[in-house]
Amino acid sequence: MKPRCAIALICLAVIVAVTPRIIAQAPVLTEAAGCPPEPLAFHTCALQKAKTFNPPRTSNGRPNLQGHWRSLLTQAFSVEGVPADDPLIKDPIMPWHAAPPEVIDPPDRKIPYQPWAAAIGRRGVNFRQYVDPRTTCSTAGIPRLALQDASQIVQPPTDDDVLWHHEDHHVYRVIAMGDRPPAGAAIKTWNGLSRGRWDGNTLAIDTTNFNGYTWIDDSGNFYSDTAHLTERLTLIDANTIHYEVTFEDPKVYTRPWRVAWPLRRIMEPGFEIIEEACIEGERSLEDIRQQGGYRFYFGESWRGR
Amino acid sequence: MRNAFTSTIAAAVLTLAPIAAAGQVRDVPRTPDGKPNLQGIWQALNTAAWDIQDHSARLGVPAGQGVVVGNEIPYQPWALVKKQENFANRLTADPETKGFLPGVPRIMYMPFPFQIFQTPGQVNIAFEYARGIRIIHTNGTPHLRGPINWWVGDSRGRWDGDTLVVDVVHFTDQTWFDRAGNFHSEALHLVERYTLDGPDHLRYEVTIEDPKVFTRPWQMSMIFYRRKEPNVRLLDYEPWLLMTEEQAARERGKAAN
Repeated sequence: MKPRCAIALICLAVIVAVTPRIIAQAPVLTEAAGCPPEPLAFHTCALQKAKTFNPPRTSNGRPNLQGHWRSLLTQAFSVEGVPADDPLIKDPIMPWHAAPPEVIDPPDRKIPYQPWAAAIGRRGVNFRQYVDPRTTCSTAGIPRLALQDASQIVQPPTDDDVLWHHEDHHVYRVIAMGDRPPAGAAIKTWNGLSRGRWDGNTLAIDTTNFNGYTWIDDSGNFYSDTAHLTERLTLIDANTIHYEVTFEDPKVYTRPWRVAWPLRRIMEPGFEIIEEACIEGERSLEDIRQQGGYRFYFGESWRGR
Repeated sequence: MRNAFTSTIAAAVLTLAPIAAAGQVRDVPRTPDGKPNLQGIWQALNTAAWDIQDHSARLGVPAGQGVVVGNEIPYQPWALVKKQENFANRLTADPETKGFLPGVPRIMYMPFPFQIFQTPGQVNIAFEYARGIRIIHTNGTPHLRGPINWWVGDSRGRWDGDTLVVDVVHFTDQTWFDRAGNFHSEALHLVERYTLDGPDHLRYEVTIEDPKVFTRPWQMSMIFYRRKEPNVRLLDYEPWLLMTEEQAARERGKAAN
């Protein structure tokens, strides 16, 4: 327990050091677009809403996803949920919150890990032995980025590439639109390389070329460098996106699986994404690492599998 | 002092205008609202990342013709001494060696590509280097109230005919202009002009004002070239994380012995 607190402390230290605007992330479970907040119920409801909602469009006729977005319904502790009797809820330094799972498929709401991988994710080896890579000021990774702080979707009215800019550690993703040839499999990147296409009113994003150095959530759930992620972003009312991610990684999982949650439009007038320079303000990573005996991650726990 | 500098910078920008006008081309791509379409992947092909002034070859450094208009940087006397110290100690003193964001305008001419995204209210520039990103607000909003120390500053832009003019303030004093020790203070104020010079060339002119370091405003001018490889896209180069990955490999090596 003690080492985990240390990690929480460093997270706090880094964020306090570099973020002029601090937003307490209490679990706000509210309705989104008239759908219930529980992720599976939301997902089922959102698919129905998407059938009839006619989204606002850009001047070239695409559904207009532009704007500032934030996930309000969920948490990044564990996509498998946090039960009410979880000991971390009483953690004195960084208490977790009870929360339903964001996993919507398979039906047991658990990540379908292969046995070796289940011992690494799910608060296993990763959680106990490694610094959460986000704490080293890397990207939070897909899909944790979409749970963490504010983001902005910049969608040019010209069918050029789409930019998804996350305030957390100034991480951006380029969603390449059009028929660009794919990149070679030997190229590994932190956020992967994304290609987008319009599937009806849905922006569908395929991402490969991961380095496998990021975590799915704060529990050390993970994928490797062979992962293929498919994200679907669909407006279900003017201010709500149904966000769904399918994970495929035959090296790690026994079958594909999915998460879903709502992204809500940030309505604050004049809201702007501001610079959160994590690396440049980082002061305590080495101290904490030495105290807790944590190692850097860089995919060490799955490499060689 | 500030007023004097502001009027000087206005004059300086005006003197640059003829260059831009001469370079204006009829056939540039445009967005639906009629503005020049600056979108795409661009890269500087000069040696400004090493030294923004004229310089001979050094080991590992290509010789280069500078990008400073007139080649002289009007340092105050103390600042010229500081620049010379920076140059002597550059292998360790250059902030680039820490893996931080390199600041503006340095990030514009690092030897890495960047991509421009353009909507009516915003122009965004995403950089392969250090995951840098700039938001240039073109919706008429003023600078945020300072003092703020941001690594890429606060950018507010407007269209002057076919030129995007960007005013940038709120910097840190922790970044340099190049690997040769040219530097500024947190009072740095930039006026950038982006003008398409044909479909595949983007002229970049920047006026640099910093009354704490220089005796007058000065300018840089260069061309960004469109990357036209059919498969080109931004990858990632995150210097600090690459250094950390090397550290992790060393620690694994020690643990194995």
